[in-house]
Order: sequence, then structure tokens, then C-alpha cells
Amino acid sequence: MTRPRLAIAGLTACSGCQLTLLNCEQEFPEIAANFELAYFPMAESGSAADQEFDVALVEGAVSTPGDLATLFRLRSASRLLVAFGTCALHGGVAAMNNAQGAREQLMATVYGEAGGDFASFLPSPFRNFVSVDFSITGCPPEKPDLIALLGALLAGTLPPVPCYPVCTECRSRENLCLLLERDQLCLGPIIQGGCNARCPATGIVCEGCRGPVREANVAQELELLLERGFGRKEIERRMKRFTPEWNYGQRS
Amino acid sequence: MGSVVEINPFTRVEGHGSVKVYLEGSRVERVELCLTESPRLFEALLLGKSHLEVPEIVCRICSLCSTIHKVTALLAVEHALGIEVSGVTRLTRELIALGGVIQSHSLHLYCLVLPDHMDLRGVAELALAAPEQLRLGLEVKRVGNLIQETVGGRLIHPINITLGGLGRRVAREQLLRLKEELEAILPACREAWRLFSAPSPVQQLAPPYCLALDPAAPPLTGELFRTSDGASFPVSRYREEIRESVQPHSHAKFAQVLGREATVGALSRLNLAGSPQSPAGPVLYHEAAAIFETVKDEILGKDIRGNNVAQAVELCQAVERSLALIDQLIGMGGEEVSVKVVPGSGRGSAACEAPRGTLIHSYAFDNDGICTEADVITPTSLNQGAMARDLLALARGMEGADAQQLGNALERLIRCYDPCISCSVHLIKL
Repeated sequence: MTRPRLAIAGLTACSGCQLTLLNCEQEFPEIAANFELAYFPMAESGSAADQEFDVALVEGAVSTPGDLATLFRLRSASRLLVAFGTCALHGGVAAMNNAQGAREQLMATVYGEAGGDFASFLPSPFRNFVSVDFSITGCPPEKPDLIALLGALLAGTLPPVPCYPVCTECRSRENLCLLLERDQLCLGPIIQGGCNARCPATGIVCEGCRGPVREANVAQELELLLERGFGRKEIERRMKRFTPEWNYGQRS
Repeated sequence: MGSVVEINPFTRVEGHGSVKVYLEGSRVERVELCLTESPRLFEALLLGKSHLEVPEIVCRICSLCSTIHKVTALLAVEHALGIEVSGVTRLTRELIALGGVIQSHSLHLYCLVLPDHMDLRGVAELALAAPEQLRLGLEVKRVGNLIQETVGGRLIHPINITLGGLGRRVAREQLLRLKEELEAILPACREAWRLFSAPSPVQQLAPPYCLALDPAAPPLTGELFRTSDGASFPVSRYREEIRESVQPHSHAKFAQVLGREATVGALSRLNLAGSPQSPAGPVLYHEAAAIFETVKDEILGKDIRGNNVAQAVELCQAVERSLALIDQLIGMGGEEVSVKVVPGSGRGSAACEAPRGTLIHSYAFDNDGICTEADVITPTSLNQGAMARDLLALARGMEGADAQQLGNALERLIRCYDPCISCSVHLIKL
């Protein structure tokens, strides 16, 4: 059997999703044996970019003409394109100020006048430009989600996608509810689960790194937080940290 | 006729970069180092965010270095707000930072550099050609990550280290498990240097102008920078002494320290610790000290080719220091670990030794604790000038070589520096 050919790359990102693959220390030898890492510049030299791939795992938001060229190239060259991580799926931290617009202003703040020479636009998720076949969410993604995808690919399929909020797993772990019992700004009710409520289990509020859960009851969350004395501005700022656009009136 | 040899992208480094060598016939005219990672603009994104949010957002600059970014940001915000943390918090932060060192050094050495020493293309070939070496390396890396996950609650972008303290104190059983795992990898770390002390095929380069935090300072963070010519300046004066400039071909800023191109990282740290200003030599634990004695001729006064073996010394040191910290933490009583954080105005900076070198964070907040200024200087932006200088010297020394040979040698030199390009494209206010 020929091994599936993988491309693994990053756009505007921290390399954390690609690192998640290298962090599968115990599984890595088996992954290397079952897949051909045909294009993986972070860990492999000497592979040409102009080849065909079975699957491209690409992390990061799209924010430069170069990012866009890479995305189009990997989309055209790959049977399946996976949006790997929250930035690829929702825009992520790079996009948190998108609503305020004016990329030029941010560039000028950081680079001074020289900022005008660098081409850059509002960081956006893949789906604004290309069709996406599958996505893994999380900042960073959970290792088991990646392993599940790789396993399913070998079996010629894709894994099921959970569609329940962080609270589902949080309740089943019997954690203290930071939102209702501690009046903290926890985003658990509206955020995609699958992380086993990692943060609330440590006593830290859900910061929303996995993006919105399907049919999130955003309006209700907003009411709960406003009742607890948080300002609308602060709540929106927190919600936008990983996902720039929300429908604040949405009820499930 | 002029021609250009381009290496694009760099491989086996973190982030996106390329090098262009401009030739006139076979003569090398100039070399352009381009760190072309997309602009990240973190310093601008942080403005208007609260003091609580800053460390949580800024650690996303980089995945490999997320722990030390978060720790440095916490320290800088705490300096700004005048917060003193508990002893348990201090030691726990040092422990997680060491987990970061173990993970970062072992990833770089075993997965990215080792293929160079065996003439392989990367980690996938390594898995076939040297499965046992790779398994050992991955095992060391796994334990570094286990520390980060156990202490931080998450492997990348840790959550459990917070402003003023910890989400939850690390339990005794968890510490004992880490101790067991660390003891199991100590033998591999004791031997790691052998893999990386082979004579480099790359020619001799200029000795570096080393910059690091004062080796005599308490571990993790410090208040004073030292350089290899005996100069020193306090962290609070970094804006005056470290100058950054923008170059049209690179998204990372070029930094000069006291007017010179400085080098930071393992090589600089060990050199400064072993310099005449620190007569005691580096403060190393038993095994790391023995390795240092064996390989010090490849490190003291040497150029960047000695950096990888210096990282191997530090890898062993990090494991031994972690073991000592765990014993200390287990012995500490049930004191209150976290202190209350009251928002307020202030300005503060902090510097830490990240795996790749000196890292500086600096913030200012208004009366509501909202961020009004943010500045981050990363090791790779500090190293960028020296990297460009060494690339030019190497390319000139190899005039006449074919493009493939030249490309391989330049990439290998870049890997000696262990750059982290996501970090470097961070950016600063001019």
C-alpha cells in the first residue's frame, strides 16, 4: 500500500499546530512509518513544493499575499485540505482587532513609517478563500484530535466532529462552575468542546480558544455575564480573542 | 553578470525565512537575510487589553517559546503593578521554564540538527536511519513537555501560571512523577553532547559579542545584562542600549547592543558564565559541569558553531536543576501561593533567558489596568545582525562552490543559531 502523502505548513501563526504533531513523541515513529511527510519545511529539508498531496494540514490565518499564494497552491495540489487550528478555522489571535479595521495603523504602530512597505491585510480564515474539507480546532489543538484524524485518514475516512460546548465535559468532570458559582468571565457555554475542559479543570476560565460551538446561545451568555457586572466592551473583547466575528443576538 | 542564489524557505527551523546571496560572477557581493514570517503585530494588538489578558495573548507569539513568553510577560506586568509573588510561585515558574528548555533544546538538537550530522534530510529519514537515537531524543523531549503540561495545565500556551500566582499548586504526587521521569532521562542527557561535538564542516567564523543576563543573578530572571567585553547595563535601560531598526527585506527588526551585533543563547550564556568576570565559572550541577569540562574548548571564546554543543550542556543542566527544584517544592509548606492582583497604573520590564537567548518584555498600564504600551525584544531579533554577518562571511569563504553546497552550508549555519522566526517578527514601537 502506498503511504498517504502529507503536506504540513503554516501561514500567519505561531507554529503551534505543526509543533503539536512533533509533540506526539510516542506516536511519531509510527506516524513517520505510515505517512510520507512529503512537504514539511519545519522538520524536513529538500522537498520540492510543486508536488501533489493526499492531505495538506495547514495552520495559521491568511494575512499576506504570500499566505494566499501558499494556500491556493496547497489547495490545488491536495485532495483534502485541513484547516489546522483556530487561526486557520476562525482567524485566531491575529484577527482579534479586525473589527477595528485599519491594518495599516497596526503596521505603523509596530514598524513605524517602514510599515508601509510590507503588504498585509486583515487576517482571515481559510474558508474566506478556498473550500476546506476538514478542520481541527484549538489554540493549541489537542493531540488526540490530530491522532484521530491521522488514524481515520489511514482508514480512508474522516473522524466525527463533536458539537457540544466546553460545559458538557466540564460538568461531567464535576468541576466547580466558574461562571455560575464564582461569577467569573468564563466562555465555556458558547465554545466548542473536545478539550475535556482543560482550563476550568485547573481553576482557570475558558478563554474561548476553540472557537464557537455550533448553535451557540450567544445572547444568553451575554445576559449571564452582564448580570454579573461585566461591561459589554470587556465581554466582547474576550470573545474576540480567537474569533473576530460573533452574532451577539444568536439564540440556540 | 550578476546572479542570485536563494534558499527559500529555510527548512528545519521554526517560522518562515530565506536567504539571498547576490553574486557578481563567482564573487559574493552581499547576502540578504529575510525573515519573511507574516507580520504578527502583537505589540499593537495588546494595546487596549487588560493587564490580565496581556500574558494570555502574548504567549501566542510563538508555540515553542510560549512558556517563557508567558513567564516573562507575567514578570513584566507584576513589576508594572508592584506585585510580589510567593516563593512557591517563583520556583514553580522556574520549573516550567526549565521544562521549556528541555523541550526546545531536545527538539532542536535531536529532530532538526541531528539529521545534519548524519547527512539526512530530516526527522522522517532519521526515524528510519537512526530509530534508537530519535527515540531517546523524543523521550527527552516528552519529559520536557510533561513538565510543561503538568505545571502549566496545557502543553503549548500554558494556563496554570497566572498573574500573582498559580491556578492550582502542583501536587506532591505530580512532582514525584516528574522526578521519576527526569531521573530516567538523565543518562541520555549525560551523553547527548557526543552527538553534537563533531567538528563542523562549516569554516571558522568571527567570535561572537556575547550578551546574556548576569550569570550571578538568581535563576530565571535578572536585573543586569553583561557582555563579553566586560560591559554591563541594567534591564531597565534596555531601550537606550539596544537599538532596533527596520530593514525593507525583513519583517524582523535588526537590533544592535551598545552599537554592536550581539549574539545571545546557550553559547553566550556559558561564555559569560565562564568569563574572567565570573571567576567561579558557570554554576553547573554535577553532570553538566563534567560535560562542560570536556567540551569547554568548543565553547569558550568560540564562534556560533559551538552553540549546539552548548545547548547539550544546558540540556543536562536543565534536567539536574529541575530535579533540585522539585525537591525544594516538595519540601515547602502549605503557604498561600497566589496573591491578589489590584489593577492600577504603572510601567515595568522584565528579562529572562529563553532557550534561544535573552528575551525582554515591557508594558505600561493606565489607572484601569489597560495596556497603553507594549514592547517585546526576542532572542532571534537580537541575533539577526550576527546571523547576517556570519552568513556573509561563510558565503565569501565558499566562493566558487555550487548553489547546492552553498545552500546546505548556509542552512546549517542558520541552524547553529536555532532561530525562532515566529518570535522575531514581533515588533516594536520605534
